[in-house]
Amino acid sequence: MDEARKDEDQRLVARTQEGDAGAFDDLVVKYTPRLYGLVYNMTSNHEDTNDLLQDIFAKAYKAIRGFRGKSSFYTWIHSIAVNMTLNFLKKRSRRYSLSLDDVDASIQNDKEFIEATASSSPVREADLSELQKRLNEAMMKLSDEHRAVVTMFHIQGMPHAEISKILNVSEGTVRSRLFYANRQLQNYLDEFRKNPVT
Amino acid sequence: MDEFNDNEISKLLRLKRYEQPAPGYFDNFLHEFHRRQRNELLKQPLWRICVDRARDFVFHFNLSTLTSSPVAVTAVVICAAILSLRIYQTPQPATVALKDRPVLAAPASTDDEWTLASPVATRVFSTRSLRNMTESAQTHRTGTPPRYVLDSVPVSYETTFKF
Repeated sequence: MDEARKDEDQRLVARTQEGDAGAFDDLVVKYTPRLYGLVYNMTSNHEDTNDLLQDIFAKAYKAIRGFRGKSSFYTWIHSIAVNMTLNFLKKRSRRYSLSLDDVDASIQNDKEFIEATASSSPVREADLSELQKRLNEAMMKLSDEHRAVVTMFHIQGMPHAEISKILNVSEGTVRSRLFYANRQLQNYLDEFRKNPVT
Repeated sequence: MDEFNDNEISKLLRLKRYEQPAPGYFDNFLHEFHRRQRNELLKQPLWRICVDRARDFVFHFNLSTLTSSPVAVTAVVICAAILSLRIYQTPQPATVALKDRPVLAAPASTDDEWTLASPVATRVFSTRSLRNMTESAQTHRTGTPPRYVLDSVPVSYETTFKF
């Protein structure tokens, strides 16, 4: 973990605990984009993500006075986000249509996206937008817990150790969930490759 | 073999990090957060606000750390001692003992002599009922409400003089 970021977070947390609401604003601004990605890829819905994010930060603000720094703020806020999102998903009936077609059109013009897909032979052959759609569908077929792990590892780029702290499970469990989720995604996308127009 | 391997899936999934909300969303998020916080605060009942303030007070003075200090322990012990003393020294509530009914002495002569004494004061009433329960049971008819009869004669109707 980036030590500079950790120190900065600690300072902001301390100031918030002393009553400086502006310090918490800084934390909100800092973590909103990252948490947005996490929650959005678990819910696949922008509106739900927005509401959840608001609730997550509200809960964090209420609880931050009790935060004693046993873990980093980064881990703590991510734990709140993942747990609240998992609870939300349990309550929510799976709205399957939601944003599976929400793949942003702009993504295909993104330089990094083009570079990333240029070297991938299966991707080159398939329509990228359709493939992304299929990927979202495959993600939604995963259980909430598996999707959380996939989101944190593949999309957010977190290490296994960090994910295990956030989910409060062992690293072995994280690896096992990832392995199982990868197999499922692989099977689903292979089917798509064999029958691209289904 | 042209299959998606872990690396390719990983690459594809990484692309999802470019899925972002509408432009300007992150700029407005903080304003929206403040607005919701204010609304929630206005909806809170008074007692909840008081509890929150009290909690803030506790955290402000960091009272939880004081629990380990000898001063806090001593204070708690003293408070407990004072409370227990107050509880044990509370006067017992007055208990009313059931005493025997005072028996009024009967006058020396109540039947044969004239007396100016009030019949109320001198007459000793018998607590024994004039009729026993079996008699009452016999007079009571089923289906009729119970009727209560005073066994003694009202004072005002009783003659005080006997000839």
